[in-house]
Amino acid sequence: MDRHYDVIVAGGGNGGLVAAATTAKAGLKTLLVEKHNIPGGSASSFRRGRFEFEPSLHELCSVGTKEKPKEVYKIFDELGVNIDWRYEYNTFRAIVTGENGFDVKLRAGVENFCDDMEKAVPGCRESVKNFFDLAKKDAAALEYIYKMKGKPNPLTMVFKHADFMRTACHSVEDVEIALGMPEKARDILNTYWCYLGIPTDDLNAMHYISMVSSYVEDGAAMPYKRSHELSLGLEKAITDNGGEVWYNSEVSEFLYDNGRCVGVALTDGTKLYAKEVISNIIPHNVYSMSDNKNVPERELKLANARNFGITFVTIYLGLDCTKEELGIEDYTVFKSTYANPREQYNHRHDKPVGAYYVVNCLNEVIPDCSPEGTCMLFFTIPLYGNELPEDLTAENYKRYKNDVAKRYIEDYEKVMGIDISSHVEEIAVATPVTFARFLGTPDGEIYGYDNRNWDNVVMRANYEKTDFSVPGLTYCGGHASRGDGYSSAYITGEAAGKAVVRKLKGGN
Amino acid sequence: MAKSHIKSLNFADFLKAGEKRENIIAKAPAKPVPPTSSYRANRIASALHPERQSLIVSKIDEIADGVKSIHLVGNVKKGTEKVAYFSAGQYLVLFLDINGAKITRPYSISSSPKQALDGEYVLTIKRVNGGLASNFILDTFEVGTEVEASAPEGEFTYEPLRDAKNVVALAGGSGITPFLSLAKAIENGDEDCSLTLIYGARTEKEILFKDTFDRIADTCNKVNVIYVLSDERNDKYENGFITADLISKYAPEGDYSVFICGPQAMYDFVDKELAKLNLRKKFIRHETFGEYRNPQKDADYPYGGISEVKITAIIRDEKYEITASTNDTILNSLEKNGIAVPSRCRSGVCGWCHSKLVDGTVYIPKSVDGRRLADYDYGYIHPCCSFPLSDVTLIASVSK
Repeated sequence: MDRHYDVIVAGGGNGGLVAAATTAKAGLKTLLVEKHNIPGGSASSFRRGRFEFEPSLHELCSVGTKEKPKEVYKIFDELGVNIDWRYEYNTFRAIVTGENGFDVKLRAGVENFCDDMEKAVPGCRESVKNFFDLAKKDAAALEYIYKMKGKPNPLTMVFKHADFMRTACHSVEDVEIALGMPEKARDILNTYWCYLGIPTDDLNAMHYISMVSSYVEDGAAMPYKRSHELSLGLEKAITDNGGEVWYNSEVSEFLYDNGRCVGVALTDGTKLYAKEVISNIIPHNVYSMSDNKNVPERELKLANARNFGITFVTIYLGLDCTKEELGIEDYTVFKSTYANPREQYNHRHDKPVGAYYVVNCLNEVIPDCSPEGTCMLFFTIPLYGNELPEDLTAENYKRYKNDVAKRYIEDYEKVMGIDISSHVEEIAVATPVTFARFLGTPDGEIYGYDNRNWDNVVMRANYEKTDFSVPGLTYCGGHASRGDGYSSAYITGEAAGKAVVRKLKGGN
Repeated sequence: MAKSHIKSLNFADFLKAGEKRENIIAKAPAKPVPPTSSYRANRIASALHPERQSLIVSKIDEIADGVKSIHLVGNVKKGTEKVAYFSAGQYLVLFLDINGAKITRPYSISSSPKQALDGEYVLTIKRVNGGLASNFILDTFEVGTEVEASAPEGEFTYEPLRDAKNVVALAGGSGITPFLSLAKAIENGDEDCSLTLIYGARTEKEILFKDTFDRIADTCNKVNVIYVLSDERNDKYENGFITADLISKYAPEGDYSVFICGPQAMYDFVDKELAKLNLRKKFIRHETFGEYRNPQKDADYPYGGISEVKITAIIRDEKYEITASTNDTILNSLEKNGIAVPSRCRSGVCGWCHSKLVDGTVYIPKSVDGRRLADYDYGYIHPCCSFPLSDVTLIASVSK
C-alpha cells in the first residue's frame, strides 16, 4: 500500500525531530521515519548496569533560561516541550602540558571570562572584550540581513556592518591577531575549536565568535535525563500534533517524479509519498539512494568538493567512587600537549595519546546523574572516520577500542594525579564504527561536512538555494547550513520545517 | 595595552568569498558519490552488526538427554556469506515461526569466537518442560533447516579495562554455554584472563561438555574447572550448592570478577552467598537471561483480580487487538498472536522492544526494569518485561 503525506521527514536526529514537530504543529500531515528504534540519532542515551550514559552532548549553547530564552529554549518552548535544563557556569578548564603549557579555568559571563583571561594573560583583556563585542555586531548584521530576506543593501552593509563582513570572511586567528590578542590568549580562547572540528586558522571567525559568545554569555545547558529527554520530548511534540513517527524504518531510496523529490522507499519495500520531503540524512547518503539522473550536477560537485567533518572516539566510564573522592572539580577539561589549535589538530594521532582530548564529568553539573557513591566520565578524542587504523577488522576491533581507551585513561590519570582504572565499573567505547552503525553516516561522521573557511556557514546560508536545488527536498541537521552541533541542528530543523510550511500553506 | 586593529582586515574579501567557493565547487568532479556501505567504518560496522544473519543448520550433536548443540553456518543463498564475529558470552537471537506464532529467543553462543571466523556458530539448547521454542527447535531442526538470526548481542563479556584479571564463573545447568565459549577463547588466546569455573549440576550425568572442559583445564593453565553436584554424593566432585565458602575455597588470591549464568533459583541463592563475601559491585556480573515469570508472586504486584485483558498494538498505521493473560508479558502475548515486534534480550535490559504505552497500566518488576530515565516521563516501556494490569494500548515498532 502506498501512503501519502504532506511531509515526510527522513531521519529522526535533532534536526529531523524539530522539523517534523514544526510541520505537524502547523497542521500538516507529517510522518517521520527513523532507522533506529529510538529517536535522536546522537541525542540519546544508553544504559550499562546502573549507569545511564550521555552518548554525545558536551554542552548545549544558545539555550538561555525561561527569563532570558535563547534560540534553543524558544524552539522547545514553541513546540510545547518542557525540558529540565541544568546549567554549567564555567566554560572550561584547559590544561596544556607541553611547551608554554598552562592550566586555566574560565568562568562564564563575559566580564568573568575577560577577568579570568586577563589573569592568565595579563594585558589581553581589551582584545578579548573586543572579540565578544564583535559577536554583538555580527548579531546585529545578521538580523538586518534576515530582515532584508537575505538581500541586504550593499551600502548599508559597508557603512554599518563592515566588521561583520570582516569576521565573515576571515579566519578566527586573523581576526584575533587584528584585535591585537596575544598568542597565549588566542590559544586559550581557541580551545573550543574542536566543537566545530576545524583549527582556528581555517575556521570562520563569525561562526566561532558566535558559538563562543553563546557559551560565555549564557553558560551551557544540559538536560537532566540525558539527551534522551530532549528527543522523547520532541517526539511527543510530533505525535501530540497528529504527526506519526515510525522507528526501525530505514530509508533505502529517495523517489522522484520529473526531477521533483516525491517520497521515500523503506528497506522493506514500503513506498511513502509526500508533497515535501525533509532530509535529516546527509546529502551524500541521499545521493547514493537516488537515481543519479535526479541529482543535479552542481550538488554532486559540491559533495565531491567537501570532506566529512571530524568525528570521535568516545569513552564512557561508570566509576564506583565519587568525583569528590577522585578530586574532580570540573565539568569540562580540555587536555592538550600543544597550546596551538593547529598543532593540536596535526598531532591528533600521536602516541600514546593524541595532542588533544576532552574529559567531562556530568556529575559536576548533575550530581545525581549516577547512583550514590559513583560518578561518570566521558572522554572525547577527535579523528576523522577515514583515519581508523588501516588494519582494523571486525576481529581486532574490540582490542583496538580497549587499547585506545587504556592509553587515554592512563594519560588522564597521570595528568590529574588520580586513579581511574581501578574504579571502572562500566565501560563502553564508541568509535566511528559505532556511529556508522547507529547513525548510518558515511565513515561514521557526526559533524556533517567540515567547516573549512571556504565552505563556512555564512557561505552555506547564502548559497543554500543553489547548493540544494531539488524541488520538494529540504535538508536539516549537522550537514546543513549551520554546521554541526545540537543547537545548529535544532535551528536548521526549525528553519526547514518553517520553509516547508510556507511552501505548503503560504504566508511568512 | 593591546590595540584593536580590526579595521586592518579587508571587508571587501567578503564580496569575493562566494566566487572563491564557486570556483572550488566548479573544479570538483561531478562523479557519483560512493555507496555508504563502501566506507571502511560502515563496512566494519555491518560485519560486526549485520541487521540479520541468514543461517542454516550444518550439524546437530546430541550432547545429553534433551540437550543438543546446533551448528549454524551462513546461508550464502540468502546473502550471509560470513557470520559476524563476536565476544565470548554474547548471544544470538533466533527468529522462529511456530505455527503462526512469531517468536524470538536469545541463546548464548557456546562455540568460540575463532569458530565464527571459520564460519560457524554453535548454540547448545536444552529442552525446557513446556518450552515453546526449545521443544520446537529440538524436535524440528535438522541439517539443512534455515533460520534467521540477529547479530551477536549482549554485554556478558570479559572486559579487560573493567574486570579483574581472574574470572570466577558460576554456572548452573545450561547456564554453562557462555563459559564454554569463554574457556575456548582463553585457550585460543583471544581473551586474556584466567578462568575458575565453578559449575553446578544436579548429577554427574547432567554435567555438559565435561570432556571438553577437562581437556581445556588439562592443557591450558589459565582455565580451572570445579564441578559441584547438588543431588548426588560423589567424592570426585564438590557436593551441595555454590556457597560463599566454596567460592572462597577456589577463588584466586587478590581481586576477582564473578560472572554468573544459570536459572533464576540459582541467582537467588548465589546472590545471598556473594553478599557474604563483600565484593565490590563492579566485580559481580550477571547474565540476565530469561523471561520474568509469575509476576503475581512479587510483593509489590498490584493484584487486581483480572486474569484476561485486551491489548491493542499500533504498529505503523496498522492496529492489532488481542486478548492476553495478565500472567504473560506483553511481548509474549503479541508474539503468540503472530504479531512480530522487535526484541532481543527478553530480559528488560537491551531496550530493543522500547514501545510507548498510550493507555492502560502495566506491572514492571523492579529487578528487570532496564528503562532509561526519560522513558518514565514519556510512557515508554519494555514489553518484554511488562505485564498488563488492565486493557492496554501501545505503539510498537516493526520487527527488525
